[in-house]
Amino acid sequence: MSIYLPIAELSVNIFLLLSLGGVVGFLSGMFGLGGGFLMTPLLIFIGIPTNVAVATSANQIVASSISGTLGHWRQGLVDFKMGGVLLIGAFFGSILGVWIFSRLVAIGQIDTVISILYFALLTGIGLSMLIESSKVIRDRIRRKSVKRKIHYHNWAHRLPFKVRFYKSKLYISVIPPIIIGFVIGILSATMGIGGAFILIPAMIYFLGMPTSKVIGTSLFQIIFITALVTILHATTTFAVDAVLAFFLILSSVVGAQVGVLAANKLRGEEIRALLAIIVLGVATKIALDLLVEPNEIFNLSVIRLVF
Amino acid sequence: MIKQLIILFYFLTGVLTPSISIALVIGSDQEEIYIDANFSGEELLVFGAFYSDPSQSRDSKSDILIEVVGPPEDVVLRKKDSYFGFWLNSKSVTFRDVPGFYYLSSTSELTDEFLRNNQIGLLERNKSEMIDWSLLTTDWGSIINEKEKEEFYNALIRTKQNDSLYKQVSDEIEIIDGNLFRSYIDIPNTVPVGEYTVNLHLIIDNEVSQEYSYNFMVTRVGIEEAIYSFSKNYPFFYGLISLIIAIIIGWSGAEIFKRFRRI
Repeated sequence: MSIYLPIAELSVNIFLLLSLGGVVGFLSGMFGLGGGFLMTPLLIFIGIPTNVAVATSANQIVASSISGTLGHWRQGLVDFKMGGVLLIGAFFGSILGVWIFSRLVAIGQIDTVISILYFALLTGIGLSMLIESSKVIRDRIRRKSVKRKIHYHNWAHRLPFKVRFYKSKLYISVIPPIIIGFVIGILSATMGIGGAFILIPAMIYFLGMPTSKVIGTSLFQIIFITALVTILHATTTFAVDAVLAFFLILSSVVGAQVGVLAANKLRGEEIRALLAIIVLGVATKIALDLLVEPNEIFNLSVIRLVF
Repeated sequence: MIKQLIILFYFLTGVLTPSISIALVIGSDQEEIYIDANFSGEELLVFGAFYSDPSQSRDSKSDILIEVVGPPEDVVLRKKDSYFGFWLNSKSVTFRDVPGFYYLSSTSELTDEFLRNNQIGLLERNKSEMIDWSLLTTDWGSIINEKEKEEFYNALIRTKQNDSLYKQVSDEIEIIDGNLFRSYIDIPNTVPVGEYTVNLHLIIDNEVSQEYSYNFMVTRVGIEEAIYSFSKNYPFFYGLISLIIAIIIGWSGAEIFKRFRRI
């Protein structure tokens, strides 16, 4: 059974869509990730045009990050003030990101740029996950426990415009969070990701936020970045496919909840290592598409009249 | 020898006595193709008879040619080149008013000469020596070399063929009882919306003897049309509604499963 996607202008198998959303949702629930970094390239692999894949992923991440934020919010693990400051930067970053995106569409380089960005992102994510999980597995075998520093003092504490963030027990300049938000905003708009993978380490290492508050706060601000990106794409690139988003959201929300349940029952490191391998596999496929001479060196795109 | 005489006879009677001349009678199963939520391509049926008088039968020299031309669209064709090992888009050409869909079918192989003489066959045009560039309004950009232009032109047709949007065949028309013909034409799910023209030609001794044309529409209907036009006319509200749907499903999903976990 297939469904016609009105914006992508093609029909896809409905079960393929549901299983794609379900699997990505499952992984995101299990590892507490947004899943956009897998959703966008997988959508492109099944034949969805790049611009539709990016814009629609952003819309889907709104739903999954709301689901995630609720849990953290109830436990008081969201620093709204920090989230707000990050959002100031993200607001301008995503406007710039959508502008860059539409310029790249106009000059015909969007596919290449998206591929290179995704290759870099996925390789980084995959390798760091693989190294981290293998370290944990090795340490477990050696029965070592790892001690971590709770608080980092670095240059972020020495800049002007210092503000007190009570929830995170921080007194730091607003400049670093605004810059971080700005960068995440650009990436979110151009890649269709929430950016948790970059945001979370940045919040821990650059801002020195306590780990317990990081996930809830990053999810909270991802809701707003991706919401803004959805609106910006809907109004400038016209690439948000509501029908595609609907099926992805439906299946990913269910998948995410199953993933959360599964995470409690399974040992994390082995699955994390497995996910790392999947991520590296996707990265390799993207790299091959860039490096191997294509069968058809010409590609055609229809100029859509925007009225 | 006898056969040739019969053909000659037909030819003469056709010319001299119009009352029993060869006619083309056609029909089609639909005047509109609707793109709805379940649309996954469609088969368009075109059928007809060679002669108006069913007691007569088709002679070997008469052929049917069916041409389906989709609505014009502007396309950008980009060529990839290798830069430091990476395959990136480089040169591009914009073709204006290219048919969004093109299908040419005949009961026997048609010669290039025939197609050229009768100005039929987009796919054959590139094979001819005289490429009629004037038929396409083209923005060649930096490309001035004729050979390169031809390379792009061939690539335009090839990429359209790969997407099943351009096709030329000579074995898809079924002949029934020597007098009736029938053809199922594949309309893939990627076809553009708009007005399509079906041209039928009856060919006798390499000459077009009869022509018949009719139009049909490919239109979005129902929810597909509603969503598409809403997204174009009210993009802000479209984005907002997409968001609200995401919020509702995201929120209620979490709530429903929270209850499940309590039980």
